[in-house]
Amino acid sequence: MRQEPINRLSEKGLRVWRIYGIFQSLIALLVGVGVGVINYFTGQHLWIYIVDGIVLFLIGYLLIYLFPKIRWTRWRYEVREQEIELQHGLFIVKRTLVPMVRVQHVDTEQGPILRKYDLSSITISTAATDHTIPALVTAEADELRGRISILARVAEDDV
Amino acid sequence: MSKEKFTLHPISAVINFIKVLKEMIVPLIVVIAVNGFGGGGNEGWTSYIVYIIYAVLLIAMLVSGIIRWKRFRYWFEEEELRIEYGLFVKKKRYIPFERIQSLNYTEGILHRPFGLVKVKVETAGGGATKEADAELTAISKEAAEQIKKEMNLAKNRVSESEDQDLPLQLEEQVVQQRKPLFRMSQKDLLILASTSGGVGVFFSGLAVFVSQFSELIPYETIYNEIIMFIRFGALLIALAVFFVLLVAWIVSVAITFINYYEFTIRVEDDEIIITRGLLEKKKITIPLSRIQGVRIMENPLRQLTGYATVIVDSAGGSMAEKDEKIRLLPLIKKDQITPILVQIFPNYEFEASFTRVPKRSRKFFYRLDFLWIIPVAGAVSYFFYPFGLLSLLLLPLSFLLGAWQHKTAGYWMDEKQLVIQYRLFSRVSLWVEKKRIQAMTERTTYFQKKAAVSSIMTTIKSGVAGSTTIVPHIEKKDAESLMEWYEPTRKESINIQKEQPF
Repeated sequence: MRQEPINRLSEKGLRVWRIYGIFQSLIALLVGVGVGVINYFTGQHLWIYIVDGIVLFLIGYLLIYLFPKIRWTRWRYEVREQEIELQHGLFIVKRTLVPMVRVQHVDTEQGPILRKYDLSSITISTAATDHTIPALVTAEADELRGRISILARVAEDDV
Repeated sequence: MSKEKFTLHPISAVINFIKVLKEMIVPLIVVIAVNGFGGGGNEGWTSYIVYIIYAVLLIAMLVSGIIRWKRFRYWFEEEELRIEYGLFVKKKRYIPFERIQSLNYTEGILHRPFGLVKVKVETAGGGATKEADAELTAISKEAAEQIKKEMNLAKNRVSESEDQDLPLQLEEQVVQQRKPLFRMSQKDLLILASTSGGVGVFFSGLAVFVSQFSELIPYETIYNEIIMFIRFGALLIALAVFFVLLVAWIVSVAITFINYYEFTIRVEDDEIIITRGLLEKKKITIPLSRIQGVRIMENPLRQLTGYATVIVDSAGGSMAEKDEKIRLLPLIKKDQITPILVQIFPNYEFEASFTRVPKRSRKFFYRLDFLWIIPVAGAVSYFFYPFGLLSLLLLPLSFLLGAWQHKTAGYWMDEKQLVIQYRLFSRVSLWVEKKRIQAMTERTTYFQKKAAVSSIMTTIKSGVAGSTTIVPHIEKKDAESLMEWYEPTRKESINIQKEQPF
């Protein structure tokens, strides 16, 4: 077995994903309430209320608790001298290798929620692909961006 | 360096006009046809207003074509090709010669009597702006030759200032015409034309046409006529459909025949040069350094008859419009492929002995399809009983296709390159050098993990974006050895030879 990449995302990233999960659940809640209201005016079937409630609870549980947890535990990355390795995925585990020679530019980005938690995401672009590490402490992300861009410049195509 | 400014040939005014006209011709015809059909209803001058508008438009287009020709200037200055153009707003574009990737020539019907060519200038970037980086609508062949000369001169000067060793005579030896590597025979051309999927292209074109001008088409009239038509019976409809298909097929055969007439490729100065076309002679240049991968495609019909198509993926540029998949050999007997490819790509190894996919992963090739087929077929069977039951046939069919795909899939690698073989319907074999792979991903689902298999996704650059090819459901340990093969840290650096990365 090949070794997993060693670095994890920031723990705060998990909290941010939970917040995203809450937002997504809110949309589900809106639909659920809509179903409830329609049921109230049309048939008032008890079982529809019950199913509606269970589904909503399940969605909330999955989106806010379980999925972020799995995703966070799965997410690993490692930046070595000659390549970047990433591992992520909820149902499908993806392990990606990006050689330093192929890296064209590195960006860091920060949305309003990420900013509140002092996090950044970092995107590594090759000529044909983009790879994002989603939640790193901003200082760490900046440091990493600098490191990758130096390594990418140093790396030589020796094939 | 001369600072003389050159203009285009006057015929380009006509070409500009025709180009705009081409875009307008369809609505024009539709409107005229509709008015003609509606006849009798609206009388008086109102019925002419449309024609008057069109006449005015026509004149405006002609004038704008002339102005655009008049305004166009190009010249060479400071190692750059400089262009000045614009209808109302004067625009200037300076293209440094060293950034020019290729010059592509096209000879249209209008070009040929005057010995002119259209020149498309392409640079490495070219991604953001959709059009070719610069287009000289019509210049004489000598002028086109001069651009090439200026470009080579400038390029040599640049490399000279960088390292003194290069002699100036380089351009002398550059001009040596070589014998074409491949010329498609008339017989193959006919086979290509008659078996190509051009019918589909024609229909999609038709669909686009209809959707674009749907407001102008009198659906109600057509609808009524269709109702009338149905009364004539199903036979007539079937005949009509057949007739339409036949016409579409003939048209597509003709189009393919015209486009690929006298298809030849030759290699000159590390560039592949493709020439083709009957009415419009096209000359496409692809620098070898831009080629990212080579695909051999065999659709089932052609696989049976021993024919295949060879396609190359090229990075950047805009010459193949959508994605940069260029037909290098549109149709060729399979046993003739390797001798030609070896001459073009000496770096590749074309003899591959594939590692196939383990037997236990066969289920992965059709199981996912069952997930959508079962509910869909179930619903169709229920609602359209009894004929809907026929949809259940999809199950064995998709199973067979999956088994076929499973049998085809495989990969092979050596030190420098990876070969992937897979099938959707057509069998595709992709040759790609390790240094051209932009990123590689190992992908494992929960079920794959249980069966100890995984898939490998390789991405190469194709056009301005990427193109991902999957080695599906191979042994876990094979997948890991592929990842290790790709991982720069793991491998010893044996070759010191440098190459320009893309």
